[in-house]
Amino acid sequence: MREQLEQLKNSALPAIQAATSEEQLQEIRVRLLGRKGELTALMKGLGLLTPEERPLVGQVVNRVRDELEAALAIALSEARLSAQTARLQSERVDVTLPGRRSTKGSKHPVTLIIEEVCEIFAGLGFSVAEGPEIEHDWYNFEALNFPPEHPARDMQDTFFVENDLLLRTHTSPVQIRTMLKQKPPLRIIAPGTVYRCDSDATHSPMFHQIEGLMVDTGISFADLKGILTVFTNQLFGQKTGVRLRPSFFPFTEPSAEVDIACVICGGKGCRVCKGSGWLEILGAGMVDPEVFRHVNYDAEDVSGFAFGMGIERIAMLKYGISDMRLLFENDVRFLRQF
Amino acid sequence: MNVTYNWLKEFVDFDLSPDQLADLLTMLGLEVEGMVRLGDGLDDVIIARVEEKRQHPNADKLSLCRVNTGTEIVDVVCGAQNFQSGDTVVLAQIGANLPGDFKIKRSKIRGEESCGMLCSEKELGLATESVGILVLSADKAALGTPVFQALGMKDTLFEIGLTPNRADCLSAVGIAREIAAKLGLQIRLPASAVVEGPEAVGSAIGVTIDDPQRCPRYAARYISGCLIAPSPEWLVKRLNAIGIRSINNVVDITNFVMMELGQPLHAFDCSQLAGSRIVVRTARDGETFTTLDNQLRTLESTDLVICDAERPVALAGVMGGLNSEIENETTAILLESACFNPAAIRKTSKRLGLHTESSHRFERGIDIEGVVTALDRAAALIVSLAGGASAHGQLDVYPGKTEALAIAFRPERANALIGINLARHEIIDILERLECRVSEGEDGVLLVTPPRYRIDIEREIDLVEEIARLNGFDKIPTTMPVARITSDRPSRHQQLQKKVRNTLIDMGMNEIINFSFTDAAAADKLLLSETDPRRTAIKLLNPLIDEHSVMRTTLLSGLLETTARNLNFRSLDLKLFEMRRVYLGRDGESMPHEPISIAGAMTGSRDGDGWSRPNELIDFYDAKGTVEALLEALEIGGISWVADAPEPYYHPGKSCTVLAGRERIGSVGEIHPAVLDTFNIDKPVFCFELDFEKLVQVSRQKVSITAPSKFPDSSRDVAILVPDSLTSEKILACVRSVKAKELGQVKIFDVYKGAGIPDGFSSIAIRIRYRSYDHTLTEDEITALHKKITDSLVQTLKVTLR
Repeated sequence: MREQLEQLKNSALPAIQAATSEEQLQEIRVRLLGRKGELTALMKGLGLLTPEERPLVGQVVNRVRDELEAALAIALSEARLSAQTARLQSERVDVTLPGRRSTKGSKHPVTLIIEEVCEIFAGLGFSVAEGPEIEHDWYNFEALNFPPEHPARDMQDTFFVENDLLLRTHTSPVQIRTMLKQKPPLRIIAPGTVYRCDSDATHSPMFHQIEGLMVDTGISFADLKGILTVFTNQLFGQKTGVRLRPSFFPFTEPSAEVDIACVICGGKGCRVCKGSGWLEILGAGMVDPEVFRHVNYDAEDVSGFAFGMGIERIAMLKYGISDMRLLFENDVRFLRQF
Repeated sequence: MNVTYNWLKEFVDFDLSPDQLADLLTMLGLEVEGMVRLGDGLDDVIIARVEEKRQHPNADKLSLCRVNTGTEIVDVVCGAQNFQSGDTVVLAQIGANLPGDFKIKRSKIRGEESCGMLCSEKELGLATESVGILVLSADKAALGTPVFQALGMKDTLFEIGLTPNRADCLSAVGIAREIAAKLGLQIRLPASAVVEGPEAVGSAIGVTIDDPQRCPRYAARYISGCLIAPSPEWLVKRLNAIGIRSINNVVDITNFVMMELGQPLHAFDCSQLAGSRIVVRTARDGETFTTLDNQLRTLESTDLVICDAERPVALAGVMGGLNSEIENETTAILLESACFNPAAIRKTSKRLGLHTESSHRFERGIDIEGVVTALDRAAALIVSLAGGASAHGQLDVYPGKTEALAIAFRPERANALIGINLARHEIIDILERLECRVSEGEDGVLLVTPPRYRIDIEREIDLVEEIARLNGFDKIPTTMPVARITSDRPSRHQQLQKKVRNTLIDMGMNEIINFSFTDAAAADKLLLSETDPRRTAIKLLNPLIDEHSVMRTTLLSGLLETTARNLNFRSLDLKLFEMRRVYLGRDGESMPHEPISIAGAMTGSRDGDGWSRPNELIDFYDAKGTVEALLEALEIGGISWVADAPEPYYHPGKSCTVLAGRERIGSVGEIHPAVLDTFNIDKPVFCFELDFEKLVQVSRQKVSITAPSKFPDSSRDVAILVPDSLTSEKILACVRSVKAKELGQVKIFDVYKGAGIPDGFSSIAIRIRYRSYDHTLTEDEITALHKKITDSLVQTLKVTLR
């Protein structure tokens, strides 16, 4: 009987090892260890043995069964693993096919720049102010120290509408409206749509500006330089050079044009900066006492600065857009890039 | 304003290169917008002498020349015939680069070596056409001198973009004064002493001012026996360099002195002036007059005219008259130098669309005290260049004489406003360099009298600016302001704008920006009724083009135009939105209303085409879903959708009004095919337009949350057969009408029409979720509740269960 057990084991182990699938192994288990299995059948012969032999052969039976069970367990886990590996192999996907997602929308570049500029100034304690686009001459010109029939008005070709109104030519009337409503200290930023009667490759009859105004006690032109330096560095990068040069706006004095070192060539001179190495990006100055007089502020008590910039120009510089008209053609092939 | 480097050098001895000068001017606020270097890069083109000229052995039309450059003798082959041995010529040496990028190289021409080229005027860029080479007089310059230097033409033209306040810089002397002030140098003014005859000016001519308010000063001289002739070379060259065409000596002198001193002048042919006199008066309405440009002008009483004893002879400050212009036969001249009221000149110039160098200066204001100086400068030049004799003295009628006013100026205020710390003497020095008279007032205040030509300096702040400017903006430190803290959170209106944009972007929409002005016909294209208030758009009085003649009252026409344009470019899947103002007139109020509107347009494939899902087309429910998402983002509840065919531009069966409570907040729908036709669109388009201002009003500030149950939900489905007249809103309301606290989410998850469903009916499947907050619901509890709901559907709505 011992020989039969050994024989059983010796023939079963290679069969177990040869089996490749879980099903084959289950069959082998039933064939060996099932109720009508070969080992079970042999065990029935135990009763025929002498009482001395019975425990000894019983031990052999147990050992053989344990060995077979162990071999089956190992084979089974191997079979499962290889079956899983094979399945995973067969499930391979092309990871370079585009993923599934909802299509992304986009904000208009003008909106993006307005949001970015407002965010920078929010960090400096400026709040956003707004005003009407269809304005009175008084807010758009007179209160800003553009007297009637003054040549300075030629700087801004104006669209007129009915009832003695006009389309504001700049966001500066928001300064006036805000100062008439609020007393200093004041720090505002006013983004908005403005209009000029002018249309060519570099001028659009409608465009956008952001106006800034700070009024408090003891504000100086040096402070204006400080704020604008911080702003341009935040917008265009830490080490953007800034240059202020004298200019003229009726509502500020002293007035300055603000240039930044050309963001295209870094100041060496290129087509975009017309070889000068500088790009004009905003106008600024100390609020003219005449403006303070119009809004009932005392220029002896407070001082302040104002600045204004064209959003389209900044968008064109930041995104490398060479034709302003692209911004208003609303071609989705352009818009989807933002 | 155009001026050249050499010209400025006549007035100030500055030691700067043209580049340095340009930088200095720009940093003074006189922005150099362009620089043209005359003769630049032509240093290798020199004066030379032909020592020997002989026939080229291998070519009939060429000659071989031995040319003396002053340092050596070189061989040059030349094809021109108009010169001979001993002539002074212009040699482009090897390495020279002539205008038009023509590089001179060593070459062999028909076997003979040629070390350069003898140049014609055309090749030097001095003339557009020329015959033969340029032959100069022998005494022109030493051999080897660069030709532009020899001809006195090496110069740099500065194109200066002046701001309107700097009227004083509309002249070479004005710009020279700025350079002198900045560098602390003296300025040399041009000579203006007139050689006069014995005749008193008053016996030859007369001047009367009838309108002293508009003509505060009028000065004139009388010069007789002149000979009108071409101007000398220096004058022609100087005028050409700054872009002015030479006409004749007298006219050129008036233009030259205007550019030199900034004072517009006019020369009349005195023989054409009736009574040899000038009357400055207001024009009569309807009076006509022919200006120098041969245009008949109809005048108004706001115009100022210069007349002789009988008729207008010039439009004051703008343009002279054809009837009294200088002709070749003219011998006697009345020379005018005057000052006119800026606003009056501007009015006339604008009305007639006649902008001249003269009106440009008068509009900005001229130096009233410089009127006679300019008159004398021009008279001196005329006597010297055109001969003749000036009568003794000037007629100077000056009713508007005023005294120069001193400005009280506090140096410490200048320092504080600029943020610098200049000493008192440094500030006084700057003011004196600007030719201000400075004296001490009380309490440390300075009394500053600016020069009369600086009409822009009237107030203390104007002087502050001068200090900042002359001291240099680059010397102002960069500091951060010390400020009081203020509360500056974005307003709710601003926050919600951002939220709307972000939500629409998340829904896959692309933001567009259209012009605020549109075509007056936009209302017709949208089929708006005759009484629709959106037809009363605000009109522009001076539109650039008809398509931009009114302010828009809706965003939809622009969106549909943009949709059409993109479809034409074969971008077929579009989800566009715009969030901008519309402009509505208000009865009884002068200021229009400018509410923000939100509008969207979508067409094409829902998710764009791709490999991974079916290509489904956008329909009404995509537009509605976008609006739902938006309203949800803004926490707006109590929404209802009313199928009342709200707008003429929508499909009547696929559109609705959106209500929040009872407030109409907008509409959504498919665009009517007739409207699509007017926009040339051949695909269905779905749109919405919402009133953002109303959304802000109904948006809830607070969000209330209920905690989820700690016990699991169960769900049951029910399918019913419903007639098309029964809306899903009513079905859901019926389900909800069974008041049970265990009733959770109720959702329609299928709508089916087709096989097995009778016409006019659909099968609607509803999934109802049940849950309790205190225990797990049993099968029996759920079944009982679900039966109650299905019974209610059957009994109340008379629908059949499937």
